[in-house]
Amino acid sequence: MLSSISLKNVIPTPLRDKLTQRPSQIWNTEVRLPQGEWIKIKAPSGSGKTTLVHTLYKLRSDFKGEVWYDDRSLQQLPVEQIALIRQQYISIVFQDLRLLPQLTALENIQLKNILGNVMYNESDILKMAERLQITHILQQQANTLSYGEQQRVAIVRALVQPFAWLIMDEPFSHLDINNTKLAAALIAEECTKRKAGFILTDLDDDNHFPYTKQLTL
Amino acid sequence: MTLLNTLLRKTIRGGVGKGRFIMASVGLSVAVILLLAATQASVDFKQLLYGNQQNGGAEFLVINKMITNENMTQKKALLFTPAEIEEIKKQDFVEAIEPVKASTFKVAAQSPSTALPFYTDLFFEAVDTHFLDIKTNEWKWQEGQYDIPIVMPNDFFDLYNFAFAPSQGLPQLSAETFMALPIKITIAGNNKKQDFMGHIVALSDRITSVLVPKEFLTWANQNFGDTASDRGAARIVIKVKDPSNPVLTSFLNKHHYSTNQEKTRFSKYRTIVQTVVSAVGGIGLMMLLFALLVFSLFIQLTIEHCKEEVVLLITLGTSPKQLQKFLLKLFFPIHIVITILCLASIQLLQWQLSIYLKTKNMIIDPYVSWLSIAGCCAVLIAVYMVLYGTVRKYIRIKA
Repeated sequence: MLSSISLKNVIPTPLRDKLTQRPSQIWNTEVRLPQGEWIKIKAPSGSGKTTLVHTLYKLRSDFKGEVWYDDRSLQQLPVEQIALIRQQYISIVFQDLRLLPQLTALENIQLKNILGNVMYNESDILKMAERLQITHILQQQANTLSYGEQQRVAIVRALVQPFAWLIMDEPFSHLDINNTKLAAALIAEECTKRKAGFILTDLDDDNHFPYTKQLTL
Repeated sequence: MTLLNTLLRKTIRGGVGKGRFIMASVGLSVAVILLLAATQASVDFKQLLYGNQQNGGAEFLVINKMITNENMTQKKALLFTPAEIEEIKKQDFVEAIEPVKASTFKVAAQSPSTALPFYTDLFFEAVDTHFLDIKTNEWKWQEGQYDIPIVMPNDFFDLYNFAFAPSQGLPQLSAETFMALPIKITIAGNNKKQDFMGHIVALSDRITSVLVPKEFLTWANQNFGDTASDRGAARIVIKVKDPSNPVLTSFLNKHHYSTNQEKTRFSKYRTIVQTVVSAVGGIGLMMLLFALLVFSLFIQLTIEHCKEEVVLLITLGTSPKQLQKFLLKLFFPIHIVITILCLASIQLLQWQLSIYLKTKNMIIDPYVSWLSIAGCCAVLIAVYMVLYGTVRKYIRIKA
């Protein structure tokens, strides 16, 4: 199980000097993100959005302070536990999308669907793809897709697994308004279905979701 | 194959360094064949040596001290002391030991018939009946018995028939006739003399001596022998399981004992075969180690080549265990196939060899021994452990 995520005086080592100069609701303070919250983190470029996402997802550990998944310190978790958490409790949409280039769009989605407990069957996946208007590119190899298409594949991929938290790093950066609306609606639906919370980082204000909390980085 | 495996196979391209992998596989095949051949050759040779032996696999060797220019004048030096006999008895390869009792009186043998006249001075020796290779009810003597059963060596019979008799114009004799001949035996000593009638009851291959029942020799030594100087034994018979045992040969050489070279000659062959088999096995083992090293490097290369994909898979939540399982599934089955093929080849060779050797009246098992099968299992376990260790190590580094 995973309900809350807490940060205790976390500050990334490379950005330390820069970040201590200005106030932040996340860096160098204690913050608890309770289960089911829909959280927007707004910040300008270079203020460490991606660093935060990677820190929360345990992709980097060059920071001072501590990150806790409930009562477990993230730094102490063994690799197999991390894998299990990524399969069952935390899903992610990377800013740089990170699709496997050798696989087709559909295979990229299927891989995530079957890594842990299988969540959806193929027709469910196809329905989601249809809603994001990417049915026609599902059989294409991921490295031949446009950024907009890749981003929508990455969103569907993040939604085909169980999760308690969905972390999204500028998830609509390559999408037009219409596609953003479609994607946001699907994300909201899937999070509601799971009673899951999300953490979304972006540059500007938006009203894609009824956020329960807005934090400044 | 599961969808996950299909997707992983597409992601982690196995094609890199295929040449190296094939070379390592060929190396492994040769290594396994050499190891199996060495094991099987050793098993077969052992079977040829001991497989069809009589005496329940035991052999009897008569050993004596080597006579050299230095010790030839010292009569005592040529006798076995009780300590020496005890030492021989202690050796692992000795199952039983019996000093050969020698006569200490004078013996003369003479033909009572004029048809085949001969006269010779003679000697007698005796060993326990268990150490003889004769089966006859006549092999017994008790005090007062005029008739003495005698065992002659086969070699003596052959010498008489094919060398002595033709040269002296004497008739050649069949074994039956030879054994039917009465021999007048006169023993003398301690100023006494007594006549007996001897006859040969058996010809022996085991002990090259003129043997009489132990009871007779003991009695005669007491009554006619030089009791003052009990000579001790100059020869002893030992019962050994394996006359070709190199330890036996080296023990005899070390103590300057000599024995029938014919019986220990296999020792030399066995040492040669052992050396060759060990060399082949050693080369096989070395090749196996190199093959394992190449496999390990190959896996490292594959993982390194797909580093980004492996890292991304782990980032997405693929567990290191899932990747390990997948990679082992990718690399290990080929080794099972290779090992089974090698075992099959060795089986075929063994079968052919057994047919060929049969034509030479040598029998070996047509099937490979369980030792070879155990060897295959050991190789597979070693390969699995190396693959598992390498995969685990490099996946964990990426995780």
